[in-house]
Amino acid sequence: MNDRIIKEALFNHPIDKVWNAISKSEEISTWFIKADFKAEKGYKYTFTAEPNEKGCTIISGEVKNASPYILIYTWMVADTSVETTVKWKLETTDEGTKLYLEHSGISNYAGETAVAMFESFNGGWENCINGLTGYLKETVHAG
Amino acid sequence: MQDKITRLFKAIADPTRRDIFHALIIATSALSITQISNQFDISRQGVTKHIKTLEKAGLVEIDSIGRERFCNAKVEPLKEVDKWLKFYSQFWGNSLDNLENYLNKKDV
Repeated sequence: MNDRIIKEALFNHPIDKVWNAISKSEEISTWFIKADFKAEKGYKYTFTAEPNEKGCTIISGEVKNASPYILIYTWMVADTSVETTVKWKLETTDEGTKLYLEHSGISNYAGETAVAMFESFNGGWENCINGLTGYLKETVHAG
Repeated sequence: MQDKITRLFKAIADPTRRDIFHALIIATSALSITQISNQFDISRQGVTKHIKTLEKAGLVEIDSIGRERFCNAKVEPLKEVDKWLKFYSQFWGNSLDNLENYLNKKDV
């Protein structure tokens, strides 16, 4: 394990359909998070997660690259000053579209010591799947 | 608090601090500021600054013995990083499932 999350998925859909789903405000808002987003380099976007009793969790950042079919934007949660990077890459395949998603900079921690340490922790986090707001609430209580 | 994880990320974002932390992890006993600055060829002031940042993040504990300060690595706060990694892995996994459902339902 290192400091990035990588996910890959194959969709039986044309590449432009997938591209629109990940790059247009209206579509992002439907399947992901309420978005004010434009796939234009330099655009400062905001995602607003479902409100809970603590208010809304805002995710914001800047589009760094938006040339079909690569989309890169920075990702900052609420009032943290931690900037991470989300990268989407699409490729046409025989059956449709391959999606590659990389969320990097989560810890900036590299090296074998980190790997050993990470692997030795079990965390007990598997049960917490209540979304970003749920997670942040948990962190506040833990602190 | 949220500040806690911000301090942690700040502390481990710097390569020199990661190296210092790593040296403290593999050291069999606590290292003094002097020993660290000899090992890294950085000034005492430089090391002290890095150590303070690590201490604020909870990654280092300092014991003063006489005029010298000894530093011990603490790995506990890194659990926070692990939580984020686990959280995001779950988060993106769920999100891609949602994306697939959305694409399946939507007419081109």
